[in-house]
Order: sequence, then structure tokens, then C-alpha cells
Amino acid sequence: MFDTALTWNDMAFLAQGAWMTLMVTAVAVVAGTVMGIVFGVLRYQAGPYWSLPLTFVLDIFRSVPLLIQLVLGNAFQSIARLGWDPFTTSCVILSLYTAAYCTEIVRGGIEAVPPTTRRAARSLGMTWRQDMMHIVAPLATRVSLPAWIGLTLGVLKDSSLVLWLGLIELLRASQILVTRLQEPLFILLICGAIYFLISFPIARLGGYLEKRWSPND
Amino acid sequence: MKTAVTAGLFAATCLTAAAHADALDDIISSGTLRCAVVLDFPPMGSRDEANNPIGFDVDYCNDLAAALGVEAEIVETPFPERIPALMSGRVDVGVASTSDTLERAKTVGMTIPYFAFQMAVTANDASGITSFEDMKGKTVGATAGTYEAIALEEQVKEWGEGTFRPYQTQADVFLALSQGQLDATVSTSTVAQANVKTGNFPGISVVGNAPFDTDYVALFAMREEYGLINFLNLFINQQVRTGRYAELYEKWVGGDLPDLTVGGTYR
Amino acid sequence: MFNYTFRWNQAFNALPRLLEGALVTLEIALLSMLIGIVIAILLTGFRLSGNALLSAIARTWVEVARNTPALFQIYMAHFGLGAFGIHLSPYTSLLAGIAFNNAGYLAENFRGALKAIPDTQTRSARSLGMPAIQAFRLIVMPQMLRIAFLPATNQMVWAILMTSLGVTVGMNTDLAGITQELNARSFRTFEFFAMAAVIYYLIAKAVTLAARALAWRMFRY
Repeated sequence: MFDTALTWNDMAFLAQGAWMTLMVTAVAVVAGTVMGIVFGVLRYQAGPYWSLPLTFVLDIFRSVPLLIQLVLGNAFQSIARLGWDPFTTSCVILSLYTAAYCTEIVRGGIEAVPPTTRRAARSLGMTWRQDMMHIVAPLATRVSLPAWIGLTLGVLKDSSLVLWLGLIELLRASQILVTRLQEPLFILLICGAIYFLISFPIARLGGYLEKRWSPND
Repeated sequence: MKTAVTAGLFAATCLTAAAHADALDDIISSGTLRCAVVLDFPPMGSRDEANNPIGFDVDYCNDLAAALGVEAEIVETPFPERIPALMSGRVDVGVASTSDTLERAKTVGMTIPYFAFQMAVTANDASGITSFEDMKGKTVGATAGTYEAIALEEQVKEWGEGTFRPYQTQADVFLALSQGQLDATVSTSTVAQANVKTGNFPGISVVGNAPFDTDYVALFAMREEYGLINFLNLFINQQVRTGRYAELYEKWVGGDLPDLTVGGTYR
Repeated sequence: MFNYTFRWNQAFNALPRLLEGALVTLEIALLSMLIGIVIAILLTGFRLSGNALLSAIARTWVEVARNTPALFQIYMAHFGLGAFGIHLSPYTSLLAGIAFNNAGYLAENFRGALKAIPDTQTRSARSLGMPAIQAFRLIVMPQMLRIAFLPATNQMVWAILMTSLGVTVGMNTDLAGITQELNARSFRTFEFFAMAAVIYYLIAKAVTLAARALAWRMFRY
């Protein structure tokens, strides 16, 4: 075993950091997905021309580094004196960031449903709402789920950037321990292993679903 | 986008309109004083074995809270986050070893100095650097945005050789120094001594002083909160008068007490 | 009201410096992409080689690159390797970190693209007398690159966004580094970072458009 000054107390500190990472990710993914579904349906219904402003705004979130978004978002909330703590700010920015990607996934999912199927549903007398709920939603979910899992993983990893706002998540917790114990390699390896342990099973699930649900099985 | 901004403006107006008492009143009536403190800057701010905040700045904040008759709350802020934390109303005061540069005073309100740093050169023993001049042509670094980083970067430019690297935290600077990524760094002598003393960084030592001006650091608050800034100025004065400043200095740093006044001028 | 006066002129004065930084950002992104593609092709080859060790190396690389944060990878390249006495400058650490990440994602793209190319093509190439390497180089790879081109464009945009993480390892010449330095000096966070955000956006758009034009020239039938 390594000769290390790392105590159980410190491991608990790391675990707290990992918990924070999970919390931020969970909030961002849930909120981002809800927004993503709304925006995605909106984009599909409005057509490419009318949804241009929405597309443009969401595109910004995908074309500017998350780090810059976080700093800018934090500066904005501070100027507007909203008094948000770093957790809220991080969650808001990460949610919007997630929503920007999720919108594309949802739109892609809806577009993948054959128009003939939908027309058939409508001609059977289903309302738009019924068509969306019972025909489009199940089929689109199937198509989009692997990409959505990929997005969740991305957000999990990108959430490490919230350390910039002073939130003590997994990576920041590791840095604090590195500062005190001066064992950078060992602690960073543990930190990497924790990330890996969280995301690898999810990645595998995504891979499995992709295989299982691929269009021509 | 435009509607979002308008909505944001509207919301902001509503929020600020409600709370427009003096910051000093707000602190006293809320019962808590929230201080921005940088916690990877020993001995000014760091964490103990239980990862609780300790240090000169932490004690200073506690004293200030006691003077105001309220509870102290330490809000950890990395160096770059000190000002946004203040601006957003997440903290009331910065007790964060902030150099009182004119550039910054355009944005926030600075008090009179509450601490003064001398600059020291710390070098990796393998680099063979024994004085400030030896740093010429070497790879040197400091904590981004600090007084010494700005001065050192200018010095490197003047020498015309060697490289300058800013790291985001003081901890990263010393980590890089002990790994040999940097040959030397200029930091406040208190920080240098505290870091070398921990024994965490083998192979580095303080080799001398850097010929930069004394770095006076101030507490900061919102620029327009004169009531609060007035109180802070008096508080700093009282800390020195009562000997508490000397006591804290002995506790965290030790050695010659730095003079907080500048000869030949007011303020 | 806002209780904050925006000082845009200060940010505009810094525009030349920010644009210089943008060039460095673009340079790192391009280099990391080139290195990433080369390594990704190697890794794909490793996976196809049938050699257990080589394919294990490739799998580990891909999984680690895809399952840990880019920030972690860059931090590791600087301070992790530093613990071994391997000293990479901030520039090299950043480049290495991003290239490592790119290689992992691109290798996975290539693998997906390969699956889309029917096996019969390789077999017919082989039966025409081509050696395995040649069949891969002349028949499979061009098709693979075409299919993988769009995801690779996305990766390029990612690479640009990832360069902003260099500030954590002492990078001060790229766009994010210069922005952060200006910010630390003056505390005018919003103005400088808004400026940087616009520049990043424009770079990302320019790269996407360039890639589209390139794809149109290269891959049209």
C-alpha cells in the first residue's frame, strides 16, 4: 500500500465532494431535460424559421466554453444583485447548458418518428396531444435515450468546472487535500477513479441500450 | 434574449428597491457578518486537519464580527471570486489579503491597510537561484492577479528573457515550485515562510527579498457603503491600538511586526 | 437599479490582446485535433489488430478519456506528471490533455464509422490482392473518415472550448488566460468575460462553417 497521510476523515471529505458533484449534476440534468423537452417540441412545432431566435440563444450555450459561461453568469447575478450562492448559480448555468444540448436531442428524436406513423395516428382521430403522448414520446425516447445518457455523462464531467465559483465538488475537494497533504499523484488518482466509477456504469448502460434499441434489430 | 434581459432588469429593480438600508445596519440587524476569505493562502487562510477554516484572516473576521456584536460566517472564495461574491451580496466584507491597487479601487471600496506584506523569493534548490537577480532567464511564477504577480511579470518583461507563469492558487504555485515546474516564485514573505515551514514541500527554500514595494492589503466592501467602510477603518485602527494586531501577527506569522503606515503622507 | 456601471471602453481597449489570445486558442485546438486524429487512428488499429495487449491499451485509453473530466486530464498532465519529474509547460500540458481527450473520443467515432463499412469491402479488396494494410488505407480509411467527419467537427468545437481550461495550469497566452489576467487586475469580470464569450462564439462558428465547406468539397459525390 502507498505510504499516505490520507485519513478516513479525508476520504469522507472526498465523498462529500463527490456528493456535491452528483447533486449539481442531478439538478442540472433534471431541469435541463425538462427545458430541453419544452424547447425541443417548440423548435419542432415552430419550424426552422420561427424558432430561429431560440436556436440562436441555445447555440450560444454550445459555442462558448462552460468556464466562461459560469464566470459570466456569476458576474451577471452579482451585478443584478440576485444574491445567489455558488450552488444556485452553478445549477442555473449548468441547467441551461444541458437544455441547449438536450433540445437538439429531443428535436432529433421527434424528427426520427416517421411522419406516416404520426399521420396514421391523427387520422385515427387522436388529438395532437394524444399523438405526442402515445405515439411520438415512446418512439422518440427510444431513439434519443443513448444520446441523452451521453449528455448526462458530459454534464457529470463538466460539473467539475463549478469549482471556479468556489463550490467544493469532487475535483476541488481533491485539490484542497493536495494542498494540505502534498501527495498530488495519489490523491488525483483517487479522484479520477471516483469519476470513473460513477460514470463508467452509466456509459455501459448507454452502450447496452444503444445496442439493444438500435433501429434494425 | 432581449426580453430575458428586460425581465432580469425588472426583477433586479424589484429586489434592490426593497432592500435599501445601509450595509452596516443590514449586518447588525441580520446578526451575521459574512466574510470572503481565501483559504489556500496560509498563514492568512487555510484549513486544519478537520478541513475547518483557520488563519489570520479568519481570526480577523471573527474579531470584526465580535466588534459588531454578530456571528461571523466564513465564505470561502478562490482569489478570482472575491469581488463577484461581494457584488452579488453573498458576502458583506472581504477579509482576503487584497492588495489595495488603484485599478481595483475603481471597482470596490478599499479600507486603510490592515496588513502589509514584504515580498520574498522562494526557489527550488536544484535551480541554483540564491537571489532576486538570479531569477533572470528562469521560469518563474506567482499567483495570478496578485500584486507580486503583476510586478514579477513586468520584471520578466524588462529582463527580456525567461518565462512567467501565473497559477490560479497559491497552493498550485508551491506545488509547481516543489515539482520543479517553476525555478522560483515571488510571494509574500509570510506565505513563503509558512509554506516552507510546513515541510510539505521538500527541496525549496526562501532565498531572499524581492525589491518590490511593500504590498499593503486592505479590507474591502461595496464602494458606496461609506458607513461600513468608516467602521472598518476605525476597527483596523483599534486592532492596532489594542495590540490585537500584534497578538494575531505573533500567533500566525511571528517576527517583526510590519508597520501599517506610510511616512510623509495622510490616510 | 443595477448599481454597477459597465465600462465597455476598457474591454474594447483590450481587444487586440484578446484577439492575440484567440489565435493561440485556435492554434492549440488545431494541433490537439491533428495529434488526436493520428493517435485515434493508431488506437483504432490497435483494436483491430487482434493483439490482446494492444487492444487493452486502446480500450483503457478510450474509457479513461471518456469517463473523466477534461479539466482533470489537463490538471493531471501538469501536476500528475510533475510528480514523476516530467515537466510540461502550461502550453504543452494543455495540448497534451486535450489531445488525450480528443484521441479517446475520436477513436470511438472511428470505431462506430468502421462498423458502418461492410466487411465485404475489405474482403473484396483482399481478394483483389491488396495487403491488409493497403486495404485499410485505400478502401476502409477514406470511407471511415467521411462518416466520422461530422462527429469530428463537433470534437473540434469541443477542443476549442476545452482550451479555456488552460488557466488552471498557468496558461496565460490563450484567450481565457488573457481574459482572466485582465480580470484579476481590474476586477471588471463581466465586461472582459462577455468579450471573450463573443470571441469564442465567433471562433466556434467560423470553424463549423469552415468544416462544412471542407466537407462539401471533399466528400461530395
